[in-house]
Amino acid sequence: MENQFDVVIIGSGAGGAPIANVLARQGKSVLVLEKGPLFRTQEDTKGLSDFKRDELMATGGEKRIRVNDVANWGESYYSSHVEPDLNDEPHVYRDFDGRDRATIEGYTAQCVGGGTQLYGAVSLRFAPDDFRLKTLNESRNDIRNDPNEDVKREARDWPISYEDLEPYYTIAEQMIGINGTRQNQLKPASQDFYQKPLPPNPISRFVEIGMDALGMKRYRTPVAVITEDHPPSGRKYPGGDAAKTGYVNRYGCPLGLKSNTWVALLRPVSNLPNFELRPNCTVTHLGMDGGGAVRHVHYRDAGGTEGTVEGKIIVVACSAIESVRLLMLSAIRDGEFARRIYQNDLLGKYFLTHCFGGAEAIMPGRFDKSISMDSDWATDFCARREFLQEEGLWAGGAIYNNTSDQCLPISLARTHGSQDIDTIWKSFVEDTSLTGDRLAAFLDENFGTRLSVSFMANQVPLKTNRIELHPTIRDKWGLPSAYIIKTWHPHDRYLMDVFAEQCAQILRFGGDGGKGQYPVYEKGGLYQAENGLARIANHVLGGARFGTDRSDSVLDPQCRAWEFDNLYVTDGSFMPTSGGANPTLTIQANSFRVADILLQRL
Amino acid sequence: MATGVVTITDDRSRAFLSGRILEKDDTYILNYAAKHLARTNNDRRHDYGQYGSADPRATICEAWRFPIIDGHYNEIDETEAYHWNEVTFIYRAPQDRPAPDEVAVIGTFAPIYTALPMRRVADTPYFTVTALVPKGEVHTYKYKVDGEFQLDPINPQQTTLDNGAVWSRFFTQGCTQRLSFERWEMDILTRLTDHILPFRTEEGQRFLQQYYESLDRQTKEQRYPGAYRFDESVGVANFIDKLVAREENHHLIDYKICLGEIKSLFRRRNPFVEPHQVPREMYVELYDQMASGNVPGWNYQAYNNPRYFLQLLRRHTITGAFAHPKYGGNAGASGWAYLSERYKDAANPTLFDWRRVLERPLGLDPIYRG
Ligand SMILES: Cc1cc2nc3c(=O)[nH]c(=O)nc-3n(C[C@H](O)[C@H](O)[C@H](O)COP(=O)(O)OP(=O)(O)OC[C@H]3O[C@@H](n4cnc5c(N)ncnc54)[C@H](O)[C@@H]3O)c2cc1C
Repeated sequence: MENQFDVVIIGSGAGGAPIANVLARQGKSVLVLEKGPLFRTQEDTKGLSDFKRDELMATGGEKRIRVNDVANWGESYYSSHVEPDLNDEPHVYRDFDGRDRATIEGYTAQCVGGGTQLYGAVSLRFAPDDFRLKTLNESRNDIRNDPNEDVKREARDWPISYEDLEPYYTIAEQMIGINGTRQNQLKPASQDFYQKPLPPNPISRFVEIGMDALGMKRYRTPVAVITEDHPPSGRKYPGGDAAKTGYVNRYGCPLGLKSNTWVALLRPVSNLPNFELRPNCTVTHLGMDGGGAVRHVHYRDAGGTEGTVEGKIIVVACSAIESVRLLMLSAIRDGEFARRIYQNDLLGKYFLTHCFGGAEAIMPGRFDKSISMDSDWATDFCARREFLQEEGLWAGGAIYNNTSDQCLPISLARTHGSQDIDTIWKSFVEDTSLTGDRLAAFLDENFGTRLSVSFMANQVPLKTNRIELHPTIRDKWGLPSAYIIKTWHPHDRYLMDVFAEQCAQILRFGGDGGKGQYPVYEKGGLYQAENGLARIANHVLGGARFGTDRSDSVLDPQCRAWEFDNLYVTDGSFMPTSGGANPTLTIQANSFRVADILLQRL
Repeated sequence: MATGVVTITDDRSRAFLSGRILEKDDTYILNYAAKHLARTNNDRRHDYGQYGSADPRATICEAWRFPIIDGHYNEIDETEAYHWNEVTFIYRAPQDRPAPDEVAVIGTFAPIYTALPMRRVADTPYFTVTALVPKGEVHTYKYKVDGEFQLDPINPQQTTLDNGAVWSRFFTQGCTQRLSFERWEMDILTRLTDHILPFRTEEGQRFLQQYYESLDRQTKEQRYPGAYRFDESVGVANFIDKLVAREENHHLIDYKICLGEIKSLFRRRNPFVEPHQVPREMYVELYDQMASGNVPGWNYQAYNNPRYFLQLLRRHTITGAFAHPKYGGNAGASGWAYLSERYKDAANPTLFDWRRVLERPLGLDPIYRG
């Protein structure tokens, strides 16, 4: 087996795959090490896919937490077939009561393609202002719920501007395969590679009406699912509504229509002699050579056997929590590595997720929500500066509707009253009144009638929000697990309330033809959830932020670790602020940018 | 990838062909092995009460997944292929001694006394073979490791034959043979699940009746291989019988104790009628008592939380009624059909068009194969 490469990339998701694609096409020798399995599409096997349209694959049988030293020992959990097992590879967070709990939040997906296999595929760009939040807030004194002026102190500009990243957004949109519309976006584009969206689900009509009544300019949500043939990846679209299955968010796509990084970026280069993908290989630590370079990548293969490969360049892209952990684990093993990676105290600090939440209503009429993708309409109304000034907010965000959620019967039951994967089934199980006639009435009321509108907005970066290694809890390789310590800033809570109210307004105005009185069932932000400190919205960002000042960042503007010549980190951990939209397209665009930088030096 | 081509017409020839070997590539095997089997930490984190205290399976993640039961497809005869499962055995050579030279599997799914040789996946401790087995069946097997017969050290399912011999066991999709419960337990369980589901409302009853009658024998055979018991409402009891035999084996004990409790409760409350035949009102009453946690006459020493059992039962019931029929519930897809019948309007023949995106012959998707 080959063991020397130009580039060794750890992790095959949004942050890793674009680099692999570009460098492999340019003839560099590339190895991708991926911890998870290589699940294949029907086309890959010429038979059946490893992904199925099967509700029990998204949420399987009950298991119980059996990790010692956690307060939720013994509690039930239900994981999908692509998440790591919580007992084997726990993430641990510190809860309100100061006690530690294991959580499955903070994982994306563990397979080739990473989170992009399971994601809802909402592929928004960040707004230009998201890249300059320090500049934008420096001279403001109208920011609400920020008694200590943390926002001013902690906001950061990115070392690159929207204009710097724009060409790479364009490349990403072209290479990945995304459908949507451009008009009314606050995000200027030099070229338009969107595919044509399919007609929206009829239930989304309420969102249209609501947004129009409120003067919120709307566009069809860019979703990374192909609706036409996609020449860059060689994928064909079967025609008609084939992509509208209802099995979207939390399901891998058996036909490869969802533009995950395997079908879009890795499979197209997988036959090149200079490209190699090793799935089912978990990297355990990195090692230095005698000089100042990281050289050795140590991993465990599918049999548990240790292996080592060497790269001229090492790219870490394990998703933020796991990347930070890998760097910390490497520092434990290698003093020189430690000296360099801890040139300041910022590794793991400024961990970020999103301010996330929304509103939900039971709409008049009933709709077949299973004929859908994850989202139909989006608006940048709440990313406008006027809006931020009116509301005293430091940063904006995106609003979009969810179409496919709860469109299938088991998912309706298991997410009844709980939306995240730690508390799935919980409310339904406890609500013993739902039975017989009353269960029939519950279905009558909720099946095909619920509509939700979500927001995704910036979270205030705080140094105390951080990732560490847990002092006692270890994973199935005996390595310390990630320990997540975070809280919500008062301004985050305020911001979530403001955004949730905007989402509720859309439903109120949409539900009654523009009068604004329609009853909204539920609204709120992540922070209100029972496990509000664990909740991460699947968006794992920060912890190794990039910047121009080496005393204020872990990575330089090229996403290279300061003090290292050849160590790059390109998953969501590079972000100094979390952006006012779902993060993946930005991770991918940045990764294409870094690929260009690497090409110049190889 | 599976390349086997099978063209046959009836159950007898299926039995004849059972055990045919298929080639699966290494990645397929390692995709399961890496996550579930590979590890160095031997904490017993996967024991939720289903294992004895010395059972090494407690260190394995989801040991029940082995052998792997997967769908089957071949381009020549899709409809026939739908009647088959691919069963992949994985044996992991122990680390503390030299790897064996020969590993094979012998079992009731293959021609009698035929050991299927297992190949070693290069540079790994794993030996494997994949065999075609019809859906709807239960089989016993053992490994033969350098001539010695042994039980599967991973798969927790075992069965004791009439002669007292213990064998490893697996079952394929759509299986309706009872594995966990006695007949009387099934009967009470069926009554309990009926009361939870919406189908036993008068309207629901009428629907089920009509729906079952509308399916001819051939349709049933094609879409739902494994001959579902259409006499049982939506097959949920069967689903639970399979679930506690495998994925949620740790809950078998809850059912065993509580079904026994319920039986003796009903006997005491109504000595003249079989527990599964007592009137509906008695089940309703019991249900409400369990929900409140206070069941007069319940033996709290034996099981201290009847409400917990009810919650468990409800989750299992809903899942079984609406999960893919391959899991043994949702008989004839009647759970889905109920929704798609109930929800429609003037413009749409249904507002839950589940068949549109599911594999043929169960569904109508022209491309997706299941
Ligand atoms: C259900 C769900 C819905 C989502 N919806 C959206 C959405 O609509 N829009 C959006 O923008 N984002 C969405 N996301 C988030 C999105 O998936 C992530 O933002 C994105 O995948 C992050 O990219 P990444 O490169 O940081 O990590 P990933 O894409 O997760 O890639 C990391 C990879 O590294 C591997 N890895 C980890 N540790 C190791 C190791 N030690 N050795 C080798 N490999 C390792 C992992 O297995 C994984 O494959 C969703 C996520 C989920 C789970």
